[in-house]
Amino acid sequence: MSEKNEIAVEVKGLSKSYGPVQAVKSIDLQIGMGEYFALLGPSGGGKTTLLRLIGGFIRPTEGQVFLHNQEVSHLPPNARPTSMVFQSFALFPHMTVEQNVGYGLRLKKVASDEIKDKVANMLKTVGLDGYGERMPHELSGGQQQRVQLARSFVLETDILLLDEPLAALDANLRRDMCIELKRLQEKIGMTFIHVTHNQEEAMTVADNMAIIADGSLVEMGKSSDLYENPIRRFTADFIGENNIFDGQVSKIEDDVIHVDLGSSSIAVLSRGQKTSVGDKVSISVRSELARAIDTSTSSTEPLETLSGIHRESVYLGLTTSELITLDNGQEVLARQISDRYGGHTIANGTSINVGWRQQDGRLHIS
Amino acid sequence: MNDDYSSKWGYRLKWLYTLLVVTTLMLPVFFVMYISFNENGFGARDYDFTFEWYGLIFSDLLMMEAITSTLNLSAITVIFVVPMGLITAKLYKITQYPLAVISLMLSPLFVPSDILGAALLVFFKNLNGAFTLFGEWVGVSWFDTWFDLGYFSAIVGLIIYTLPYVFVVILITMGRYRKEQTEAARSCGATAWQAFWHVEFPQIKTGVFSSCAFTLILCFNEYTRTSLLKGGFDTFTTVLVSQMLNEGMSEQSYAMSSLVSYIAIAIIGSVIIFTLVRSERLERIARAKAEPLMAS
Repeated sequence: MSEKNEIAVEVKGLSKSYGPVQAVKSIDLQIGMGEYFALLGPSGGGKTTLLRLIGGFIRPTEGQVFLHNQEVSHLPPNARPTSMVFQSFALFPHMTVEQNVGYGLRLKKVASDEIKDKVANMLKTVGLDGYGERMPHELSGGQQQRVQLARSFVLETDILLLDEPLAALDANLRRDMCIELKRLQEKIGMTFIHVTHNQEEAMTVADNMAIIADGSLVEMGKSSDLYENPIRRFTADFIGENNIFDGQVSKIEDDVIHVDLGSSSIAVLSRGQKTSVGDKVSISVRSELARAIDTSTSSTEPLETLSGIHRESVYLGLTTSELITLDNGQEVLARQISDRYGGHTIANGTSINVGWRQQDGRLHIS
Repeated sequence: MNDDYSSKWGYRLKWLYTLLVVTTLMLPVFFVMYISFNENGFGARDYDFTFEWYGLIFSDLLMMEAITSTLNLSAITVIFVVPMGLITAKLYKITQYPLAVISLMLSPLFVPSDILGAALLVFFKNLNGAFTLFGEWVGVSWFDTWFDLGYFSAIVGLIIYTLPYVFVVILITMGRYRKEQTEAARSCGATAWQAFWHVEFPQIKTGVFSSCAFTLILCFNEYTRTSLLKGGFDTFTTVLVSQMLNEGMSEQSYAMSSLVSYIAIAIIGSVIIFTLVRSERLERIARAKAEPLMAS
């Protein structure tokens, strides 16, 4: 069995309540060994609580946590094979970088020469060679975060928990650190569980991810699958830039589901999802797959189309977003590479169609 | 910070005001020091410099006993009250009901000292009476002196008096401490105690040591509760007050008061100078380390 197929973390029916408030609602989850796993979701959705339950910083109200198939629900954080990286860096301000990184080894009573060697190697790994004598306040945000990583890596625990580790960094540094984190994870081979509310960050680093919202696990899978083929309406709404149409199933022809939107009807592939006529469903279309089509031109391929009025073009550099208001008042975005129209812009207020290929629409029954 | 458009005279006046306030507050202390070196004592027309009264301090047995008792009371109070304040400050940081904790802890401050002293006196008298009766009932004399007025009752009074101050002083330094650091230490393998001792305590120790110093000073100053609860022994303050009321302070008392002030000023002054020098040194080191980076 390959390392990635072995289970590093498993939670079963995990719940956490604070009085009447249920922060985590009966979550079941498995994370493979050596995997980079992201917990993605809106703020206040329960992802940090789930991470802290795995780390042993809070006790579950119900359910169990297994690390390498051992139940650890009753164990405090220092007795679990995990280490944690915090959003606020959480370096010990009265210790030098070297002392911070070597702290866990000193607790393990490792010989001081060995500590020195390991700390020096680890500082080299995270690109902080020569910074050992500095105090945390003498480092930039990115450097402090690297010290935190070194402090966790040096312990050689199997599982690293990262709680919004890049949230305190500016956008450019965050991008660089994402790539750096992924590189380090592949080099060290630890299991990373990374909490973030930033989908771009999650997509950059994660092999697999889980969407957590309102204390529940919404959907889990490969990052690319969740982006391209979300099952749940919430996932489509949260990941990427999707146009979502709510309606009722009006007709079913083999694998094609016809959905009545009120003023018009569109068809979508069922992709194996079972539904019946009259069911309330949603269809999502990624904005980069939707096209703004001049009503005077005819398309060369069959498209699902809806008519509306062009409201605005928003130039974003690489892409331009066309904002279209449909006849029923719903706003739709069609995003194209900026030079698609060869300098020709669509005038605001023009009647226009928005269309997409049938296979680009995704059906959501929940 | 003074901005470029503010009046320079306003700035100077603020300094003058501060110096005036401090001088006014400290002037009586300096006057006592001045008298303590006068061979002719307080109120004499002539001033002849001498160290004689300082030499006689140790021969004043009443004063020496009172000082010893005061030091004992202060030390024992510090030993009990500082951990109590620390534990409660930690509770305040984690509880869902911080208002309840702070209200309970500060409540002794809202009771006038003489009323609290009298209440404690009545409480200990009754408690003593109850235990004595209980002893008589079971036929032993063992319980008779448990709650007699003395060191124990005086220390209880001092703890009640000083605990709110200790709590507040420690809480102020704890305010800057982030609990993620404790969690980070736990995540590195530290037990709860190790996380406290290695990570939290070094960052709040200024508050802990300040509260020790503050408690010592409060215990030294305390008169009302201690005089009601002390029973048969004297403290430095009760002797001073008694002398003032009955026969006026002796020359040794002026010398002793001055000596206590010297020690207090020396300790507090050293702490301030040490802190300033250390902070300057750390800043110099940080600047030296940062310079190569700034240049590159």
